[in-house]
Order: sequence, then structure tokens, then C-alpha cells
Amino acid sequence: MSAVSSLVPARFLTIIAHLVIVITIFWSRDSNVKACLPLEYTQEQYEEEDKKLVVGLSVTLGLFAIELAGFFSGVSMFNCSQGLLSIGVHASASVALLFYLFEQWECSVYWWILAICSVLPACVEITLFIAVFGFKKKAS
Amino acid sequence: MELPENLRKRLEDFSRNVLFDPNRSHTVTKEHEPFVLNDKRILSSLHLQMSLYFNLWFFPFWWISEIVMLNLKYPFLPDYYKFILVTILIVMTCIEAIRLYLGYSGNLQEKVPELAGFWLLSILLQLPLILFQLFNEAILIQPLERGVHIVLAIFILTQVALGGFTALRDLVRHTESQFHLRQFNSSPP
Repeated sequence: MSAVSSLVPARFLTIIAHLVIVITIFWSRDSNVKACLPLEYTQEQYEEEDKKLVVGLSVTLGLFAIELAGFFSGVSMFNCSQGLLSIGVHASASVALLFYLFEQWECSVYWWILAICSVLPACVEITLFIAVFGFKKKAS
Repeated sequence: MELPENLRKRLEDFSRNVLFDPNRSHTVTKEHEPFVLNDKRILSSLHLQMSLYFNLWFFPFWWISEIVMLNLKYPFLPDYYKFILVTILIVMTCIEAIRLYLGYSGNLQEKVPELAGFWLLSILLQLPLILFQLFNEAILIQPLERGVHIVLAIFILTQVALGGFTALRDLVRHTESQFHLRQFNSSPP
């Protein structure tokens, strides 16, 4: 199906865009952490908020690993619905994280972005893993 | 576009002698695979081809990110790094284009010299350049650059590992076995 030949690179590129922005935020999280804190803050408060953001970013990277494993092993590469979901979700995550970075949003927003745009495709990916390897469903 | 004849010959000799020990490869024949002359197995490596395909799609975005970041940090660099980074960018662009073309044609058409050229370009040129861009803090590495360079470095490493140790090895073994058999078949009566 010719639509698949444009879905696969589109899905790859949106996943990589999201990944690159997450890595960028990893290295420049200073202003975002400061946005979560009150005007007068102590070093311990800063360290705590920083640690929470690092945990969130690491969880995102772990979920990326799951989704990329499913994608490159072929389990969900040609599955059109997972492909569309992944493209939509990762593209919106890229835009949202771009605003997060530039507008210096606060930390709680990141957990929403994580839940909708990383946990959701990873869960669908795990479901597909189970369906293909457990129930021997053909990976269309 | 074909590689020039003497370059092909040199790359073929290189892969046959330097990369793979000619005495060892004859003893490694699997028992259940008969030695046929017209072996029609497909020897293109799927994983290498996937890696090349996605690398090709990723390359324009890497290029644009690199140009923009270099433009932004150009006034803050010392003079020698200005020259070095512009040179590295031009060199990496040209090498990447040649490398991806050689990888595609070598893998899809199962040609040893192209694949050997691809592997050499990857490990001798691209790998040191990308590691220089990733680990040399003096060139004011920006977070976005870190992101895109990490992705490209992972691509180059997988291509060196996959292309070198699976695709090239299987291809060289196959051409050697064909050559070996052909010697017996065309021996004078």
C-alpha cells in the first residue's frame, strides 16, 4: 500500500523530532525548573524540582526505547492505525515541548505532555507486542 | 555512476585480504547448506538497508539544525574554531552524501567494493568527525546540537557494526565460495 511508504518515514521523523527536543530539554532545563519555583527559593527546593524533572525526562526516554524497539523490530512498522496515532501524538508533543521550552512553562505541564504523548503510544506498542508475540496475530 | 576501475579493484582486494582472513573463511561452512554454484540467496542486509533508509530521511534535518546552530554561535567562537567548524560541516555533508549512495548501491546490488567503500568512509571519516562534534566542549556545543549529533552518531555506529560485521562478511564469503567453485568447474580437461 503506497500510503505506508509515506507513513513509515513520517512516523520515524516525528519520533526523532520528539526525541531530539527531549534531549534538548535535558541539557537546558534550568529555566524550566526555575519557573516551577517561587521567587525566593532555596538550593534544596531547586534540587528537588530538578530531580523530578530529570525523572520525568528519563521516563520519557525509557518509553521512547519501548516504542522504537517495536517500530524497528517490525511489530508495528506497518500497522497503519498505530502509525497514525504515533505521528499525531509525537507531532503534538514536539510542538508542546517547543512551547514548554521557549515560553518557560512550569513543571506540572510536563507530566501532562508525558502522559498523553509518551505513555499512550508506548502502551499501544506493548499491546501490539503481546498481540503479535503472544497471540500470533499477523503484524499487518 | 560506477566507481573507477582501479578503486574497485583496490577495495575488493582490501575486503578480501585485510578485513577477512582468507584461510579461515573456507572452514566455516554450515552442514545443512549445500555448496551450490547458482546460489540464489539474497545477501542484502535488511537491517543495514533500514538503517541507511532512515539515515537518508534524517540527514536534511541534521544539516539544517547544524547550519542554524553554527550561525547562532559563530560570533562567540575563536577564529580557528570558526574555520574548523565550517570545514567540518562541508566535509561531513559531502562524505555523508557519498557514503549513503555507496551504502545503498553496495547493499542493494550486493557489490563488495561499494560496500567496503561505504564501511571505510563511515569508520575512518564520519565516526571521528561526529565524535569530535559531540565531545569537544570547546566548540560551544548547544543542546539542540547534542540531540541531533547523538542521533547521527547512533546511526553511524549501527552502520559500522551492521555493515562491517554482517553484510560485508556474508558478501565476501559468498563471492569467495562462488569463485572457489568456479575454479573447479572451469578447470581444463
